Amino acid sequence: MSARPFFTVASVALSTTLLLASGAALSHDDEGKGQLGRVKFSNSCDQKVQPLLETGVAMLHSFWYSAAEKTFRDVLAQDPSCTIANWGVAAILMNNPLAGQGASPKDAAAAQAAIDQGRRVSPKTQRERDYIEAVAAYYQDFSTRGERARQVARAKAFEELAARYPDDDEAQIFCALYIAGTQLQSEQTFSAYLKAAAILEKQFTKYPDHPGVAHYLIHSYDAPPIAEKGLPAARRYATIAPAAPHALHMPSHIFTRVGAWEDSAATNLRSADAAKKSGEPNEAYHASDYAVYAYLQLARDNDAKRTMEDVFKVTNFNAAIRVAPYAMAAMYARYAVERGAWREAMQLQPQPTKFAFVDAITHFARALGAVRSGDTAFAENEAAELARLHKALLDAKDSYWATEVEVQRLAIAGWIALVQGKSDDALKFMRAAADLEDKNEKSIVTPGRVLPARELLGDMLLEMKQPAQALKEYEASHVREPNRFRGYYGAALAAEGAGDRAKAAGYYAKLMELAKKGGSNRPELARARAYVAQR
Amino acid sequence: MKRILASVLTALALPGFMPGAIAEPYEDNPSAAASDPDYAAAKAAMEKKNWAEAVKRFHQAALRDPDSADLHNYLGFSYRNLKQMDLALKYYQRSIELNPRHRGAHEYIGEAYLMLNDLPNAEKHLAALRNICLLPCEELDDLEKTVKHYREKRK
Repeated sequence: MSARPFFTVASVALSTTLLLASGAALSHDDEGKGQLGRVKFSNSCDQKVQPLLETGVAMLHSFWYSAAEKTFRDVLAQDPSCTIANWGVAAILMNNPLAGQGASPKDAAAAQAAIDQGRRVSPKTQRERDYIEAVAAYYQDFSTRGERARQVARAKAFEELAARYPDDDEAQIFCALYIAGTQLQSEQTFSAYLKAAAILEKQFTKYPDHPGVAHYLIHSYDAPPIAEKGLPAARRYATIAPAAPHALHMPSHIFTRVGAWEDSAATNLRSADAAKKSGEPNEAYHASDYAVYAYLQLARDNDAKRTMEDVFKVTNFNAAIRVAPYAMAAMYARYAVERGAWREAMQLQPQPTKFAFVDAITHFARALGAVRSGDTAFAENEAAELARLHKALLDAKDSYWATEVEVQRLAIAGWIALVQGKSDDALKFMRAAADLEDKNEKSIVTPGRVLPARELLGDMLLEMKQPAQALKEYEASHVREPNRFRGYYGAALAAEGAGDRAKAAGYYAKLMELAKKGGSNRPELARARAYVAQR
Repeated sequence: MKRILASVLTALALPGFMPGAIAEPYEDNPSAAASDPDYAAAKAAMEKKNWAEAVKRFHQAALRDPDSADLHNYLGFSYRNLKQMDLALKYYQRSIELNPRHRGAHEYIGEAYLMLNDLPNAEKHLAALRNICLLPCEELDDLEKTVKHYREKRK
C-alpha cells in the first residue's frame, strides 16, 4: 500500500516557521496528541517531513486554511518528491466543503497547479496517485461546472477511493466528509448527513482523538432532528484540537441546536480569541455572534455587550464575504430584540453591505422595534426597505435568502396589521411567516434567526389575548429553537393566561434556571421570581 | 415578459451575487449558474431574442446544473417564444417541481396556458400565486391582468 507503514502518532511537531505563520502557541501535551489531534496518514515521503506533513493533515481536518496550505507547501519545499503534499494543497483550497461556496477561481488555479505538479513528479505509490486523482475530480472543468456538480463529483471520487482502500481509515474519513458536503435542504431526511455519520461513528470508536472524525460528525448532525446525536463529538472536538479556531467554534453548532448555552459561549469565546491571535478576523466575528446569541439566552447581557465591544475592535475583516458583515448586523439586532428593547432596536443604524440579506437584518429589527413601540409609520418605511431587499434577492435568483427576507416581510406586515386593528390579516401574515421559516433550514452563517418567526407568532397571539393558542405556538417553537429565554418567558405567560399554573411555574422555573448566572435585571426575571414565590 | 430579461441583467449587476459570493450547502447558489459559460451565453441569446440558441445553451448548462429552477424557467420561456408550447409547459412544470414557490414560473406557465386557451389551468397558477404572494408582488399583478384581459376578449 505504501512505502512506509502507518504513523501511529500523529500529532504535531511544529516547525518554527509554522509557529510564526499561525501565531498560535502549539505544543505537544503529555499524551503526545498535541494541539491539533491525533491523525494517522500513511505516505511515502521523506522521514524528515513526517511531523510537518502530519500537522498539515491535522490542520486540513480542522479547516485551518492558511496554516494548512503553508504547511503542505513547506513540506514540498523540503521534499519535492512528497506528492501527497500536493494533494493536501489542492484539498485545503477547496475551502469548507460543508459551506457550499467552494474554491475561488484563484484558488482553483493554484490547486490545479499543485495537482499538475503532483502528477509530473509521479507519486511513488498507487494509493498516493489515487488521492491526487480523487481531489482532481473536484477541479476538473472548474470554469464550466457549478459547485453542486463539483461536490457530487468529489463525493463519488472519494467513495471510489474509500472502496479501493477499505483499510485506509483516512480515505474513509475524507469520503464521509465529502458525502456530507452533498446534503441538500430539499432532502429533509438528511440522508447524505446520516450516510456520512454512519461511516464516522465507526471511526470515532477507533479514533476518539481524531480531529476530522469529531469535526465531521458535528457537521453530519447539524440539523434539528438529529442534533442530539452530535453532542458526544461536540463535547470532544474542542479538547482534541484546541489550537484551531474552527475546532473551538464548531461544537457550538450542536450546542446551539440543543440549547447548551454555557458550552456554546465558552467555546466560542475561546474560538474568537484563537482566531484573533491567528489573524482570522472573519472567524472571530462568526464565533462572537454565536457567543452573543448564547449569552443573551442566559440573560448575561453584560457579557454579550462585552463580547460585541471586543470583536468590534477587529477591523481587518473581509467585507467582500458575508461572514463578518452578517455577524456584525446580527449582533447589534440580537442585543436589542432579545432583551425586548424595542426603542433601541428602532434606533439601530443601517450600515449597507454588499449583501441584501445582511442589510435586511437591521431593517427587520428597526421595523419590529418601531411597531412594538407604536410607531407604525416608521415601521412601514422599514417594511418598504425589506420589500426592496426582497426584490433584489429574487432578481438575483437567490431563492434561499429571498425566502428568509420574505419571512421578515410577512412578520412585519403581520405586526403592522395588528396595530391597525386588522387581526385576521395579522395572524394570516404571521402564521405564513412561521410556516415558511419552518421549511427553510437556518444558514450555518448564523446561530439562529434574529427572532424565530413561530416565537413571534406566539407573542402576537398573547397580544391578541389567545393564551392557549400562544402556548401551542411557543411549544412548537421550542422543538426547533430549544431553551430560548424569550421562548420560555412567552410560554410561561401563555400558560399563566390559559390557567395552567403548573405549566406556567415550570416555564418560569426554567427561565430562572437559564438566568441563574445572568446578573441581569430583566423584568421577565422579576415576574418569574414573583410567580414562583407565590406558589 | 420584459421582467424576465430585466432580472437577468439585475442578477448579473448585483455585486453581492457575482461569482465567488458565498452560498450555503442548502441554498440555491446563484453564482454557480452565473459562472457557467453556457448559462451566460444562453442568457445573452435571450436578450437578442435568439431563442433557438438560448434553448441549445440552456440544455448544455442543465447537464451540469440539473436542479436549477431558474434554468428550467428560462428553458420554458425560450420554448414558449419558439411556439413549442408542449416543451414550454414541460420546463415550466419542472421549474415549479424544483421550487414550488417560483413566482416567475407560475406567472409564465399561466400565460402559456392562456395562449393555449386553457383558462382553468391558468387560474390554477393564479391561485398558486395568490397563496405565495400574500404581500403585493408583480408576478401576481401581471397574471391577474393577463387573465382579466383574456376574459374580456372572450366576452
